[in-house]
Amino acid sequence: MSVLETATEAKELSAAARHATRDLILVLADSKRLLGMRYAEWLLGAPELEAGIACASMAQDEWGHARLFYAMLRDFGEDVDQLEHGRGPDEYASMEVLDREPASWPALVALNAFVDTALSVQCEALRGSSYAPLAQRVEKLLDEERFHAAHGGAWFRRLAGATAAARAEMGAATAAVLPGVLRWFGPDSERARLLVDEGIVAASGGALRDRFLERISPLLAALGEAGGAFEAPSFAGFDETRRRASAGGPDEATVARIRGDRNRIFRTDG
Amino acid sequence: MVYEVFARKSRGEPLRHIGALDAPNDELARVYAYQTYDEERWFDMWVTPRDRLLEVFNADRGPGVGI
Repeated sequence: MSVLETATEAKELSAAARHATRDLILVLADSKRLLGMRYAEWLLGAPELEAGIACASMAQDEWGHARLFYAMLRDFGEDVDQLEHGRGPDEYASMEVLDREPASWPALVALNAFVDTALSVQCEALRGSSYAPLAQRVEKLLDEERFHAAHGGAWFRRLAGATAAARAEMGAATAAVLPGVLRWFGPDSERARLLVDEGIVAASGGALRDRFLERISPLLAALGEAGGAFEAPSFAGFDETRRRASAGGPDEATVARIRGDRNRIFRTDG
Repeated sequence: MVYEVFARKSRGEPLRHIGALDAPNDELARVYAYQTYDEERWFDMWVTPRDRLLEVFNADRGPGVGI
């Protein structure tokens, strides 16, 4: 492996690496903002008070991380305020499985166990990033994420080990979320390889997907027969910049809420 | 099950009781403790089921049973 130059500013990266890095940071920012909102929706209505508090805590973490990633995009010439408050649904680069509000607690647990872990696996690959701002910030973020995985895993095992009906619901929620998460890691494309070659990420595509599958394998095992088998993802129609296979984005109501549309007039600092 | 939560801000400081929570098992008790009491920077944090705390002495009632 060659010795890689460390870039402290985006302008030091090659044009191709700069575009791909910018896209990756936006994918992480948008996905964390959406995931934070999904957690916040369960602040009330979780099966027990403590689970609601845990959701509030995780929502705060995710929104903090999202804000940090959005702010990093200033170095790439982006208007951060416009990114946070001015985009339509089809401009979001969030994970597709976050597009709609989860319908049940097991569906939220599936997001907690799989989406949160997938984002962490992606962030772990940025630890030694040659783009220094990523390498500097990712460690603290991953430290906070440890308890998200613990919460998702504990609830997953609890539901999978409860009644047959609860296990079946956890299995159905897993089947609804997991294929989209597996696809999200993307193909082993030229673009994915470029980021590895330039040292922005330590691994991409299939290698990260394998790491993720290894991480969640105890959870799938806990489902037993309710788990089923998961096929290798298809990348037909996959947009590598947004890491999505469908053209749309989060539903209108979700986007209106994360943009803060309703109380826009009270943003008087601009 | 009720769990009692203990923590301290620095090594060497005595453990302080900081609260209690309800959890179905040890695994979730640890997660809930962290996520409920994470607004301060603790050095360490512990949980124990309330029914595993053994009373040794109480000024009103005298020594605990078995002493």
